[in-house]
Formats: sequence, C-alpha cells, structure tokens
Amino acid sequence: MDFAYTPEQEQLREEVRVFIKENLDDDVRQEIEELGIRRRGPKVRELYRKLGERGWVGISWPKEYGGQGGSRIDQYIVEEEFARAGISVGGAGSGAPAILAAGTEEQKNYFLPGLIRGEISFALGFTEPQAGADLASLQCRAVRDGDEYVINGQKMFTTAAHYASHIYLMARTDPEAPKHRGISIFLFPMDTEGVTVRPLWTIQNDPPAPAGTTYGDARTNEVFFEDVRVPASCMLGDENMGWYVGAMGLNLDRVGASRYLISVQRDEDIVNYVKSNDLGGMNLAEDTSVRDRIAELWTEAQVCRLMTMRSMSLVEKGGNFTYEGSAEKVFAPEHGIRTTETIAQILGPYAQLLNGSEDAVEEGVFAHNLMGAFQSGINHGSTQVMRDQIARRGLGMPRS
Amino acid sequence: MDVLPNEEEQMVKNLAREFLETECPPSLAREMEKDDLGYPPELWRQMAGLGWLGISLPEQYGGQGLPLTYLGLITEELGRVIAPVPFHSTMVAALTIAEAGNDRQKQDLLPRVGSGDLVLTWAFSEENPRYLPETIHCQAVEDGDNFVLNGAKMFVDNFVAAEKCLVACRTAPATDGNAGISLLLVDAGSAGISQIPLTTLAKDKQSKVTFDNVRVPKANLVGELNQGWPVAQNMLDRGTALLCAQMVGAARKDAEMGIEYAKNRVAFGRPIGAFQSVQHMCADMILWVDGGQLLTYEALWKMDQGLPAAMEVSQAKSFCNDRCEAVVRTSQVLHGGMGFMMEFDLHLWYRRVTAWTMRLGTSFEHRARISRALLDQPGQVRLGMNLEVPA
Repeated sequence: MDFAYTPEQEQLREEVRVFIKENLDDDVRQEIEELGIRRRGPKVRELYRKLGERGWVGISWPKEYGGQGGSRIDQYIVEEEFARAGISVGGAGSGAPAILAAGTEEQKNYFLPGLIRGEISFALGFTEPQAGADLASLQCRAVRDGDEYVINGQKMFTTAAHYASHIYLMARTDPEAPKHRGISIFLFPMDTEGVTVRPLWTIQNDPPAPAGTTYGDARTNEVFFEDVRVPASCMLGDENMGWYVGAMGLNLDRVGASRYLISVQRDEDIVNYVKSNDLGGMNLAEDTSVRDRIAELWTEAQVCRLMTMRSMSLVEKGGNFTYEGSAEKVFAPEHGIRTTETIAQILGPYAQLLNGSEDAVEEGVFAHNLMGAFQSGINHGSTQVMRDQIARRGLGMPRS
Repeated sequence: MDVLPNEEEQMVKNLAREFLETECPPSLAREMEKDDLGYPPELWRQMAGLGWLGISLPEQYGGQGLPLTYLGLITEELGRVIAPVPFHSTMVAALTIAEAGNDRQKQDLLPRVGSGDLVLTWAFSEENPRYLPETIHCQAVEDGDNFVLNGAKMFVDNFVAAEKCLVACRTAPATDGNAGISLLLVDAGSAGISQIPLTTLAKDKQSKVTFDNVRVPKANLVGELNQGWPVAQNMLDRGTALLCAQMVGAARKDAEMGIEYAKNRVAFGRPIGAFQSVQHMCADMILWVDGGQLLTYEALWKMDQGLPAAMEVSQAKSFCNDRCEAVVRTSQVLHGGMGFMMEFDLHLWYRRVTAWTMRLGTSFEHRARISRALLDQPGQVRLGMNLEVPA
C-alpha cells in the first residue's frame, strides 16, 4: 500500500496549477460560462492545443498514437486539476479506452491524435427512447450495403451531440441474434448526411445553470438517423461484438477524476461556505447537528476518493475490474445526492434561490444542483443496474 | 499511489487466512465465551511461532520491524475468524511501550511479547468513557520509589488474561499547556487491585478494575511524567485503527456468509439470491465493507509513515461503526430466523461487530473530531489534503 503521490507527481500537479493560473484568464472563463463546461469555443480550443503540446492529454496512451506511454495516475492528476478549474480534459469519457482496446491501426492513428489535439470529441450515441437501462434492447439499425452501412433510427439524451465532432454509435447489426450479440459500434462525423440533432431542454435551462453547477446540463439532444451511409471501416471492433467493446469503454467512463469530482465538490463547497459566511446570523459552523452531518459527509467523500484511487490502482497494474467500477458508480453518485440534499437542510430556504434571484447563495449553484443531482445516479448506468452488476458479476449471484 | 495491498502484503494476509481457517474455527470463539481466561494459550503460542506477535515491533527487541500496515492485515484476518485472543490489547500496549518506553523497559518486555510469553492490556476509560484527558481521575501520587495508584477503570479488555496493564492516570492537575496525565505499567496481580468481570454483548473479557493504594515502582513509568496525554492519544489512535481492521475483517466474513446463504436458500421456487432486492442488499454490504477497509488502510499507512492521522482514524472508525453495523445487521436479515438461533454461528460475528462499534470512540465522538479539523481552523479545505485535528 502507498497512499501518497510521488514527488514527481506532486510536481506535475504544481505545474498544471501554474498553467491553469496563467492560461485560464477571464476571457476563457467567459467563453466557458457562455458555452458550458464541455462545449469548446475557439479560446478553449486554443487552451486545449497548448495542453496537447505539453503532453497532458492522454498521458497513459501509447506514444505511437501521440500519448506519453505514461502512468494512469499522472493522467488522473491532470484531469483532476482541470476538472476543478471547470475544464474537461480527455481521459476516460473520450471513447479512447475502447478505441485503444478494439480499434484498427487506422482508427487509432486517426482518432487518438485528434482527441489529444482537441479536434475530435465524441457524442455517446447509446440511449434510445425504448432502451435506457436495458441498453442492449436498442433498435437503431445498421444494414451492410457493399462497403457501407446504412443507419436508421433514433438516439436520445445524446448530451454532446450539438458540439461533438463525431458520434460513438451503438446500432443493431443482427436483429436475429440474442440482443447482446447483435450490436456493433460505429464512429463517424456528426455532419454526415442524414444525421439530425434536435435539442431537448432540461429543468436546468430556466434560468440556465450557472458555471460551477456540478450536476446536469441545461441542454441535451435527440438524434435522428435517416439512411445515413457510412463506410464499413467506421466500425469499431468486430461486427456484432459492439456490446462488449462498448462495455470496456463504459467501465472506464464510470471512474476517474470527473465522476469523482462531480460527486464530492459540494462537500468542499459547503465546508468552505459555512466557514466564511454566517448567513443571517445562523452561525452554522458552530451548530452541533450541522457539524456532525458535515463530518459524516466528508468521510463518505473520502470513501469516494479512495474508491477512485482503487480503480486507478487497478488500471495502473493492468488489472481488470470485476465490480470495483460499478461500486464507485453506486457509492459516489448516491453520496453526492445525499450531500446536495443535506446542504438544502443546512442552508434552509436560501438553498432554493436560483441564479438571478435576490439573495441567491453562490449564484444559485446549490439550487441548481438540487434539480440535477438525482440524475447522476441514472446516467452511464443507473445505480440499480450497477448493483445488479456488483451482485451478479462481482458476487456471482444467480440470475434465476 | 496504490491503495491495494502489494504482493508481499497480500502474501502475509493469505498465509494468515490459511492458518486461521483451520486453526481457529467458530467453535473456538464459542467455547472461549465460557472460558475463564478467554483465550486458548496453544493458539497464542502458534501465533507467536508465526511471528505475528512481534510483526511490527522493532527488530532490536526481537520483532520483525514490519510496517504497521502488516499488523493491520494480520488484525483484519483475526477479525475475520473472530479469533478469541488478546491480540489487540497486547499490541496496543506493546506498541506504546515501543514508542514511549525507555530502553530497559523495551528490553525487558518486547521480546517477551514477541515470544508469546507476555499478554498485555491497557486502561484508559473511566466512569465517563469519552476519550478526553479530563475524564481521567485515577490518581498516582509519588511516594519514595513508588507511585501510589487509586481509582477505577472501566471496560478494560482482557484484564483477566493480562500480566501487566498500561494505565493512564492523573499525576498532576490539568493546566492550559498540560493535561497532567502519565502512563504506568501496572502488574495485574499487584496488591490492592480488584476486578469485576463485565457481562457484555460480545461475551468477551472486559473488567471494571479498581486500584486501592496500589504501589507501582517508578521504574514502571512509561514516557515522561505528566507528559502522557500525547502518548495516550497515539495509543488510542493506533488502537482505533487496528480495531477498524478487525471490524472490517469480521464484517466482510459476515457479509460473505450472508451472500452464500442467499445463493443457496430457496424460497418462491428459486434461490433468494436471484431476487434483485436481495442482490442489492448484498451489493450494499460489499460497498460498505470496502469503504471501511480503504479508510482503515489509509489511516494505518499514514500512521506508519509518521504522518498526522487523527483525521483518517476518525474517518475510519465513524464509517466502520455505522456501516459495519449495517453489514452485520443486513446479513442477519438475509438469514431470517436462522441467524437469531443460538446454535447457528452467525450471531458470533453479529454480537462482536456490534460491540466493537462502541469501543474506542462512537461515531459522534469521531465525527466531532473530524468537524474540528474541518471547521475550527482557518483556510479552505480540499479533499486529499493533509488535515490535522486542532488541539
């Protein structure tokens, strides 16, 4: 066991902090404020280019594809510092783990350097109106036609669809096979003919969630595919093996810096807030009940941190998850929801005030989180599905 | 950064598990509940032979000098089989002697601990069982070459089995800068000591010990006179972290028994483990034990590195108190009425883990410490930073 970062890793963290201080100026922040955390405007793209130059994106990816062949822990450190500054840096959610595991040479050479330079980003085309938790029952269809596939169908809650360059699409290629064995993955540009994106507005859009909101997005999308023709070379992994290729990526997508921070940043915020604000004379920092609950939440947040570190430790050793990723994806979101709801009870009626309101606390962030927190337990595999996986895959419990 | 045991640590853990699975069956725990001494000396000798009793004691005093994390892993495995041995109490006292004792004391005592010849315990709690210096009223007054000790200690672990007991007592009134506490190593058979056995939930060996003009040679003072509080704090923190390891070991085994039972027990025409409501209970048990284990490992590791660890210890104990209790209760529920039956072994774990949640700090006490570190000192907090508990 070793619960410390190396001196080199501490130095890397320091370098990243200095970089953020020097480069994340008010102009960039304003662009992030206007476009949202994950959407990249020209200023953020320029920032991203500099990051790529420094070799800070895809640190753990192989050198031949533009990575550094370095440590996953180093990559985590960079991701954490940027996530804290409100910028999402490559890493797990990028589609890269699955491309590295299942992609052709051509795909690796095309996508990985593009991801590193910030020129490529993926919208995840998984969920459909009738296939959410039961993702394997998806209906979006891809039919082989010569050297191409023709895609028809609909995706839903495709959050990045209006700014991503590419889609990472799961579609059915064999409707006769058992549902898990007839799915394939396709990677192709969002501007391919026949792809239509329509916005879906969430309860966080009125007023739009302020920067610093941990949970949720003001906008997500539905995406329609009408006779979309893509070259057969767009397929990731073997035909009909998409479920298993996707599972690799999803497993890694559930862990890491951004998932961890989404779940715990409110713990830091509430401690720092009650230390520096007496909120109308409530003196919350001296309230025994508040102190007890804050200590309890802080302890749970430490468990979230350690579960993240456990996943990193496993990945770093080249080990596979049996249930550890799912464990993190249950404990962390449920903790984050508990914290969000507890904060409402700590701040009282102030926590309901949205941004723009007189007397709003922290520009309404706490109120917005109350609207969005629960959905962190739903996306990327609901906590109920995750518990099924822990029980069945991790503990070997019977299906019937 | 690697929060998992490395190969060597895992090997030590596996070997301990192998040995204990054959040598320490539940029937032994059951038998020792009714035994006057409370532990089987033969098993103790075997443990000494395996090097466990000196695993984290200094090499120059016959120990193996391995990091505290190794002792934690052994303790975890002992917890797993709810081993009825005075391991925890002996280690807590021995490590404190190793930390604060003088060379002669270490020379005299630690090799005997390692060889299994010396069982120890320690006594802190009194009528008010909070872990604060102001609760200490047992008084030691200097008289020639001796201290004269008067007062009473509560919840003393394995006093009936121990040859010596490390007693926290008052040697000066508390002042602003000094708690006025000293640590005395008292022979359990000294004239003037009486003990009343306490009947506990875990049916373990705890005593109320009364000291009536007990003469303790000054040579038995461990550490400096009146400077015992910081040493006692370290003792309590180490003891707490090791107890967490014991709880995690026992709770994981208990969870595994619940999961195994659910896989085999048939109701409504299928194993109950095929029902999602049952599966989710099982998943939660594993999440909770895992969380307690990670917090415990971090606390032990920090202590071993000589880093401040009060925060980590309190995180581990408050979490283990709440969640290990939830684990063993959930496992009871999974077992239905069977788990409630005296003849069925599950309650051996349930009663112990439940009792351990009340030892070495309740959830409220530990969370009070955490909140002091978070809220009673200036500066912004951030997860992953080193936070000390202010005095």
